[in-house]
Amino acid sequence: MTEGTYPYGFGGVSVWCDQLIRGMPGYDFHLVCLVATQAEPVVWSLPDNVISMVKVPLWGTPPTGAAARRRGGLPLRLLRQLIETLLDSSADAQGRFGCALRELFEYSSRYGNLSAGLASDRAVRLLSEAWRERWAGSEQPAPTMHDAVTAMQLLDHCLRPLSYAPVRADIGHAVTNGLGLLPALTAKWQHGMPVLVTEHGVYLREQYLQNRRSPYRWPVKALYLGFMRHLCAVGYREAETITPGNVYNRRWEERLGADPSRIRTVYNGVDPANFPALTGEPEVPTISWVGRVDPIKDVETLLRAFCLVHREMPEARLRLFGSPPKGREPYLQRCRALATDLGIGEVATFEGRVENIRDAYDAGAIVVLSSVSEGFPYSLIEAMTCGRTCVATDVGGVTEAVGDTGLVVPPRSPVLMARACLTLLRDAGLRQRLGAAARARALEHFTVDEAINTFDEIYSFLGSGHPVPTAYVEPGADDQSGDKLPWETAG
Amino acid sequence: MSASTLPVQRPHRSHARGNDIGQPIMTAAQSEDSRPRDVEELCEQFTVVCESAVDALEISSALEFEGWSDQAVRKRYGVSDVFALADEMYRRVPRRPAEPEPLPDPWQVSKVRPALHGLLYGLPTVCFPAAAGLLAGPGVLSVLIVVLLTSWAMSQALAYLGYLRLGQADSVQAARLLRAGLAAGLLALALALAAAALVLPVRAPAVVFGMGLGAYMLGASVLMVLGAERLLLVVLAPGVLGAAMFLVLGRPPRLEHAAWGALAATPLLALGLAVARASRDAGRPRLGFGLGRGRHARTGLAPGQLLVAAELRGALPSAGFGLLAAGLLVFPVTTGTPGHAVANTGALLASLPLALSMGAAEWMLIWFRRRTQRLLRTTRELRTFATRARLALLAALLQYLAATLLLTAGVIVVAARTRLVHPHWAAAPQVAAYVALGGAMFLALLLQAFGSRIFPLVACAATLAFEVAYRGLGVSGQFVACTELLLVLLGYAALALGSAMRHAC
Repeated sequence: MTEGTYPYGFGGVSVWCDQLIRGMPGYDFHLVCLVATQAEPVVWSLPDNVISMVKVPLWGTPPTGAAARRRGGLPLRLLRQLIETLLDSSADAQGRFGCALRELFEYSSRYGNLSAGLASDRAVRLLSEAWRERWAGSEQPAPTMHDAVTAMQLLDHCLRPLSYAPVRADIGHAVTNGLGLLPALTAKWQHGMPVLVTEHGVYLREQYLQNRRSPYRWPVKALYLGFMRHLCAVGYREAETITPGNVYNRRWEERLGADPSRIRTVYNGVDPANFPALTGEPEVPTISWVGRVDPIKDVETLLRAFCLVHREMPEARLRLFGSPPKGREPYLQRCRALATDLGIGEVATFEGRVENIRDAYDAGAIVVLSSVSEGFPYSLIEAMTCGRTCVATDVGGVTEAVGDTGLVVPPRSPVLMARACLTLLRDAGLRQRLGAAARARALEHFTVDEAINTFDEIYSFLGSGHPVPTAYVEPGADDQSGDKLPWETAG
Repeated sequence: MSASTLPVQRPHRSHARGNDIGQPIMTAAQSEDSRPRDVEELCEQFTVVCESAVDALEISSALEFEGWSDQAVRKRYGVSDVFALADEMYRRVPRRPAEPEPLPDPWQVSKVRPALHGLLYGLPTVCFPAAAGLLAGPGVLSVLIVVLLTSWAMSQALAYLGYLRLGQADSVQAARLLRAGLAAGLLALALALAAAALVLPVRAPAVVFGMGLGAYMLGASVLMVLGAERLLLVVLAPGVLGAAMFLVLGRPPRLEHAAWGALAATPLLALGLAVARASRDAGRPRLGFGLGRGRHARTGLAPGQLLVAAELRGALPSAGFGLLAAGLLVFPVTTGTPGHAVANTGALLASLPLALSMGAAEWMLIWFRRRTQRLLRTTRELRTFATRARLALLAALLQYLAATLLLTAGVIVVAARTRLVHPHWAAAPQVAAYVALGGAMFLALLLQAFGSRIFPLVACAATLAFEVAYRGLGVSGQFVACTELLLVLLGYAALALGSAMRHAC
């Protein structure tokens, strides 16, 4: 089960899905894909062992046309329970929310889709009454009819997956929590299918960040994020096994009530055959950066850091490989303008996409990652597999990936990033030593075979109904211990 | 190297609201020293985030996004982890969420455009008296009815499909569809006219005039959907100016052929410009959707496919409504006595003021939408909203009716002055019937705009059936039918548009 990624989008999660399916030819896969509308084009060619694909559009007309035509429509009791639990953040409410969700699914599988009941004046009235009770005497902005209508519409779209017939399979593997898990939950409720959740980033954390610039008023935002928080908690509780892409994510999962004994970290991996060790370095000291030109990658800090590097080492170059995603072109313009303002327009070059990603790593003596948010970035482990040492920001699973084979600096810190880059650029011996160590670390822990073997094992356990063993030493776990900050130990 | 050598490293605060997802709220992590010393200072830096946070987890995500890790906060503030720090901050800072920036008002359109639309519907009427010479002979009225029914139905369906595509943000496919639809419409028109000419004793000039009228309507619809109202003024200029001049000069017979030439220019221009404009838009290189291998990104169309069957079915109610509206408009004219003053007045009123009033209808529709959107944002109870929305509906209808009455009065005065008609009080019931019909059409358009397409269609069909069945009653039958239609649609609209969900957009 995917949400907005494979096979409709590019990016880390889609790469991972493709690797997993191709790496496990012994398994048949049914894809259930949450999409925005019916019309997105498939951008990956599907392997032969994908034997079916169901699209679940969250927008557009509701599924199967006919709305639930039961006398009286969606029971008031159920609507009230749903709304009441969403306005209550207690752990107890989380449990009741899970029950409401399951009842909604059962109602929908018997009588038809839920849209007519959720996006209705009845629901709007219930919500505005519940809000009024809670807002009595409060100084916060009181919710309006528009807020109630917007909130119920959002819920209607979010719960569309409940109105689709559950898929029949031995294991439900959701590659995200949240909405993407709903099809797995319905299959669990209907057929008793065991559920496995893989999280590359933390779904809920990303929801919070996305809604920081929410166009909705506070009451709607609170209801929506309350829904997401309950949903993710239900997801963690209902999943047999949770496989975060890094140890760092565990904190959030446990915080939301995931049983630690069900969590097993599985790192992303790359195919070493695609990334053989690089021989030699560019003639001028060059820093290479690979990624989408997107604010989340914080290219601006990188440019500022490079400005400092350039001041100390005028012959240094920065080469940036990658293009902005659709709609982020202004950010690229801003970055270019910043480079010009900093006086490094000539030496820091935006080179767009490269045909062979390996050339991008080859272009730099060191590879830098400046992101403010990451799961377990492919660019990092690819560079490591090539034998390049990295300077990377301490976000997500970066410290787990890099270990002691590169330098980790705090995000948004041009000074420390510049210092780390200079340290490496000035010391060829250190570069070589760390580069070799990086390759060794990647080959040991972060190969695609390693990841696939782990999932093969998890699938076998889940398929046979045995608990998945999770007690084993995780390679990144030792980096998290102690009070020393990563950039202090590494620098 | 020290921080003091940096050109652009001054830590600064900015508000989260103006921030993109990736931009720092503050640059705390830039150097160790600029990080807040205690939690109080940290709260101050995260004030905007904390005030609008829905829970402590939202603050946790913001802290992490700014580069704070468990180890960093443990070392700096002595708390166990980011979550504990966020809990503390959530407790300290009271909720005071900022209002989101108002979204642009989607109904902020120019007031000129609807008025221009009304003018564009109404102006061609001026051409009729000038073409009197062409329209002599038997069966002319039947030809005009055939043309009106065909072209209204086709153009309504065409507009529906065009706006559907434009709504999918696909101007290229919209233009292609409109170009193909224009050809289909012309073909349908030609077939309908040929059939009429076979069974009715009509003269060729009347058929040619009918074809021209229909072609103008189809071309004008295409130009309007493509947003080229100004071009339409160019289209209308020769026909309307020529006809007006001809009438003002007192219809001199020697200028009759010149006037007809001017009239002919208008449909030819309409078709030519519509095709040119649609071809220009259709030929534009595709922007975005760069991944669109195979099926089209938004519409799911195969390459070369113009529309899918479901969309064609969706256009049927629009075509049906166009057909019925044309029927309701012209049927009473056919029951009048030819040449009689009352029927003439009726015919004039059927076309000009009602066509002009469609501008007012469009305007009031936008007024109603903006009014109810404001109501949604200011009311807190469903009942209050429903009551006020119904009052707004009544106000919109009354304003439309007032505008239509004014237009009708204006047209009658001008027509009387130019001695085109001789108004008589006996025509008053028919005028009233047409004003009621206008109100009903306004309500039908309003309901359609709010997604209720079937009820107005059924109501209009029933009314037309009544008029046909009781045609013997004459004007009084028409008056009863139109008033009843108005009241039925008003009742239904009051019921349907009191729903808050219907106003969601």
